[in-house]
Formats: sequence, C-alpha cells, structure tokens
Amino acid sequence: MPFGYNGKILHVDLTQGTWRTEEPDEKWYRTYMGGSNFISYYLLKELPAGIEPLSAENILVFACSVVTGAPLSGFNRYMVGAKSPLTGGFAETEAGGYWGPEFKFAGFDALVVHGRAAKPVYLWIKDGAVEIKDAAGLWGLDNWQTLERLEAELEDTRIRVVSIGPAGEHLVRYACLQNDLEHYNGRTGMGAVMGSKNLKAVVVRGTQKLQMADPEKVKEIARWHNERIKTHPPNVGLTKFGTPGLVKGINDGGFLPTRNFKEGVFEGADKLAAPAYHETIFHSSSTCWACAVRCKRRVELKHEKYPLDKRFGGAEYEALAALGSMLAIDNLPAVARGNQICNLQGLDVVSTGAVIAFAMECFENGILTEANTGGRTLRYGDSDAMIWLIEQIANRSGLGDVLAEGVKRASEKIGRGSEKFAFHIKGQELAFHDGRGKTGMAMGFALSPTGADHIETPHDVAFQGEGVSKLYPMGLFDPVDPLKTDEAKMRFFFIGQKAWGINNVLNLCNFTSVPIHAMTFGRLVEAVNAVTGWDVSLYELLQATERSNVMARVFNNREGFTPKDDTLISRWFEEMPGGPLKGKRIDPDTFRDLVALYYDMSGWDREGRPTRGKLVELGLYWLL
Amino acid sequence: MEVTVALYETLRKHYPERGRVQLEAGARVAELLSRLGIAEDDVGILVVNRKDAQFNQILEDGDLVTVIPPMGGG
Repeated sequence: MPFGYNGKILHVDLTQGTWRTEEPDEKWYRTYMGGSNFISYYLLKELPAGIEPLSAENILVFACSVVTGAPLSGFNRYMVGAKSPLTGGFAETEAGGYWGPEFKFAGFDALVVHGRAAKPVYLWIKDGAVEIKDAAGLWGLDNWQTLERLEAELEDTRIRVVSIGPAGEHLVRYACLQNDLEHYNGRTGMGAVMGSKNLKAVVVRGTQKLQMADPEKVKEIARWHNERIKTHPPNVGLTKFGTPGLVKGINDGGFLPTRNFKEGVFEGADKLAAPAYHETIFHSSSTCWACAVRCKRRVELKHEKYPLDKRFGGAEYEALAALGSMLAIDNLPAVARGNQICNLQGLDVVSTGAVIAFAMECFENGILTEANTGGRTLRYGDSDAMIWLIEQIANRSGLGDVLAEGVKRASEKIGRGSEKFAFHIKGQELAFHDGRGKTGMAMGFALSPTGADHIETPHDVAFQGEGVSKLYPMGLFDPVDPLKTDEAKMRFFFIGQKAWGINNVLNLCNFTSVPIHAMTFGRLVEAVNAVTGWDVSLYELLQATERSNVMARVFNNREGFTPKDDTLISRWFEEMPGGPLKGKRIDPDTFRDLVALYYDMSGWDREGRPTRGKLVELGLYWLL
Repeated sequence: MEVTVALYETLRKHYPERGRVQLEAGARVAELLSRLGIAEDDVGILVVNRKDAQFNQILEDGDLVTVIPPMGGG
C-alpha cells in the first residue's frame, strides 16, 4: 500500500460524460512526485501540438503531490495547469487553502479534465465517487453565490469548492480559480480554460485519512517546524502583517512598480502598506490547512463606496501594487474593494492591474480617448475608473472586451503605438517586482516557462551578505548583489530556481519552505520520507525539479517558443528615472548573453532545447 | 563584548554598512537591534555567523550579525 499518495489519477471526459481512474505505479510517482510534473506529463502525453487553448482539445489538470495533505505547515497546496490561453504555452498556477488536502482525502492525487460539456456542469467528488452535475443554476453567479448555492444544494457546509466566476465564463484570458473565497489559482488564465469547458466548479468532500509511513515522525517534524515558524524572522513578519508588510521595504528599496513600471517609488505607498493596512481595514488573520504561519488577511470596512466584506479576501502585496502603485492610487479602501471585486468575479488581480495600468498609460498618451471609453476619463489615480474597468473586463463590456484579452492581444487590436506600453513576457503580464532592483528576479521573469512569473526564484535581496547561508546546502557560498547582472548572478538564479522548484513539484508553500522560510533542506527530506516511506535525497528532489523545468521547456518549444521569448520588458532596459535606483538599467546584450549561459548550464542547446543528453540523464526517454 | 553588524538597504540609515558594536556579555539580538534603533518589524532576514537567527538569541563576542529588511515578495 502506498504512503502519502492514493495511487489514483481521476480522468473526467466532459464531452462523453464519463470518468475513469488511472493507477500509475510507484516508480511513476517517485519520478514525477506531483504538481508541475504531473501537469507537464499529461500536457505532453495528451495534447497534440498547436491546439487552441480554449477549445475542447485542451485538458485541465488539478495536481496534488505525494505529500499534499500531510499535517505540516505549507503542505496544503494544489496546482492547476493546461495550455495557457494567455501565453499559448505551459501553464501552472497554485493555490493554498483546503481544497488540495480535501481532494487527497477523497481518494485521488490528480484530476485531468478532458473535453467540453454541452451545457454548464460541476463535478461532485466524494470519497472516490464522481458525479457530473447540472450547473445551469450556477452559471452567471459570482464565486460567493456559487459557494452558497452549492452548500445548500449538496446539504453540506464542509464541502470544499474550487470555482470560476463570471470572468471565467466570459473567457477573460486571465480569469482565475478560487477556493473558499480567499485562495486563488491566480495566474496563466486557467479560469478561462475551465469556462471554455463549461465547468463551473469542482466540489470535493473527503473523509479518508492520508496514510503516512511514519506518522509519529511527521508529528515531530510538525512540532519543530511550527515552533520555528513562531521565531524565524521572515515568518514572524508574515504572521504579523502578511504580505502587506512587504510594501514598505520594496518601496524604500526603489523597486515598487509604479505607473505601469515607469517608476520604482510610489509617493502614496505608506497609505497602502502595513501598519496603515492594519489600522484601517484589517479584520483578522486567516490560514490554510494545517499551517501555523497565518499570513492571509481578512478585511472589513463599512464604507458607502468601497465596502469590504471579511469573507471575500484581503488584498495581498501583489494586489496592493496591482490596483495601487501601478495605477498611482493610494486610496486603500478602493484598492481593497477592487481586489474583492476581482475575487468575486474570478479575475487574476495581477494581470487585471497590469491591464488597467496599460489602459491608463494609453489614455494619458492619447492612444485611448473618451471615444473608446464611452466618455469616461482613465487617468492615473482615479479609483472609480479602476473599479469601473474591473467590472467592464469581467463582463467583457465595451473597452473591457478588448482588455479581457490581456495586454499583448489588446495592444495588437488597439495599435496606434500602444505596444510600447504593453508589458508582458511570453504574453503574460508581470507581477510587481521591478527587475532593475532584483536582477535575479528579472532572470526568473524571462526564463519561467509560464511567462512572467515572480515565484520562479527566491528574491535576490534576501541573499545579500551573510544571508546567503540559506543556500549553502546547494553550494552557493558567495554573497549576492541584487543589482548586478553577471555570471555570478546567473549562478544564483540557476541554484535558486532549483531550490524553489522543489516547492512547485511537492506543492509546498514558499512562505513555509526552503530556502527563505522556516523549513530546512535536511528536515524537508526527512518529512518527505516520513510521509512516503521512501529514502529520497535532496539530489533526487532536485532531479524531479529539473524534470519539471525540462518537460515544460519541451512543451513550450513544441508550441513554437524560441530564445527571443526569453527576454524582458523594454522599460527595464531603460534607466530608472528616480528614487534609490535612479539610473539603474539592465543591459540587453549582457542579459541575452546570460540567457545563453543559462542554456549552457542547463544542458540545453543554443536554441534553448534540452539536449538528448539532458533528457536521458533525467530518464525522460519518452521525450527523445 | 563586541559584535560586528552588517546592515543592508534602508537599514543602513541606522548604522554604517558594517561596524562594531559594544554590548554587555549575554546580550541578545533584540538588545542589539534596540541599541541600533531598528524595530523588529523592520527585520526581514536575520543571520548570525551565517546561520538563521532569532530575536532572543544570545550573542557572543566576535559574532557577525546580518540584518536585511523585509523586501521579498508575495
């Protein structure tokens, strides 16, 4: 009997209205382990090259890992992936909360959704039984209404629901999924793929216990980890302030994206950041399954224009930048309200903020005019315009219909020079970290297989000076200078990407795990073995991680990506206009040379294709 | 006793880039931060002698204390 995993992958065919289980062997589980590996495995096995992402041919994969559901802080995440409607390439997006463990307790490790239902449906998965149920009465509802209706219909308030809102139904290319109203699979447009399948929700209820090889050892590691979380400074800060606690330092450092990445310092940042956040809108903290960090924020405010409901999620750092500094809005209730509308409508707040910033910069420069907006102005700093545009996008009304395509496609449709304000990498809008102040982060944006992605590597700033010790077990002994763009920085990125890649394969939270937060590499290996009964090493985890990066790369190459897609936005090749980083830029020729160096280090050829040798080293014979 | 402090980013306004601080024997990291006028809320990464450290950790003569503000990402 396997430990840690169920040995069952659920396949549902919405076109046929059928389901079946696949039972891979132990070798398969130990080779791929979970998360992004499960996703790229099925994408490469199941999808013909070149399919349209919003067609019935795409698949949608919900992936846990061999350790998801173990009672350890951060071991609660699940990943959703498909071919992205935003990038046309590999997509994955994670969320915490309670859905992932509940899905494991219902008897499965991953769900692969095939085809398209003829009419709206939802999946009801309970302890190994699967039903495809009519969702006609749910279509058009927001995520909160959907949850309430499902709890009533199934007469169970303990169900866990991942759903899409109207944005996903309307195929907004950056629509997201949410679970329990405060956890989001935000990026890469998976809500649109779910909407294209006429799939409103996946509801799970599991009462089976996760079988672990050494439960007492897991308990001991959990006690150690949770105690350390209470005193480890990065975790102490997250517990106290959540990610809003990061706004001040990032702004002080001069790399808080402001006015569509034009500037790195926002004059109104203090009004968005902790402690103002806590003094004005904070209600309570919240958490994910079995997690001691409690970084989630709940917000509440009685306000005529910008009411906040504690059930609908509190703005995280990315939301404060997306709807705040990027739009030069310092009205915290308005930003938090905009975030809650995104949550209810099912929009990725990162792409939504970036798209609105694009629209505002176009308007400021006369490319978009009142003729495009129905007579409304779209100026930086206008909170009401921000909220109006969010609703336009979610419903694909007016200008929102064009903006719902993302900045790449929207700028192609709008033309008139708007392309120079459309900031994306591989078609995905950027999360909010200016690469001129964190060049390792910039490398992650350029080289992530999902397009611009800020969680591809740990942030450079944490490894300055003697902080580098956290990557000693990976052989990185030299301090990291956040501003340098050189061979040493590429080595930092290369190692950091592998370290965080473990979290993508095992579906662990970066806020509990290695290398920044309370977990250590040694205890993580112990934890995996206590759950699974295996004898994995750090080397084996890193091999699984590299498999994930290589398989995603093979998928993207197959879909037509080339080295020219591994680049940055033009603004980062220009000098920062002010603040602490005034005059800093990334040299494009140096950056291109370092991307080629990364291919060399990775065992990829100069076209960015993993070599035959690399595929064999990783045991990926089936990709030769 | 004497410890060396290395501060990064905006924390440098509290003290030069790297310098020596005299403390009473048995002093903890929290007391060093207090002496330098650094609030614990402004500490993101805390490292003593290249190892993760805690605010209540007791310092020893010759220790190297590295402090970086919270400026990662979420």
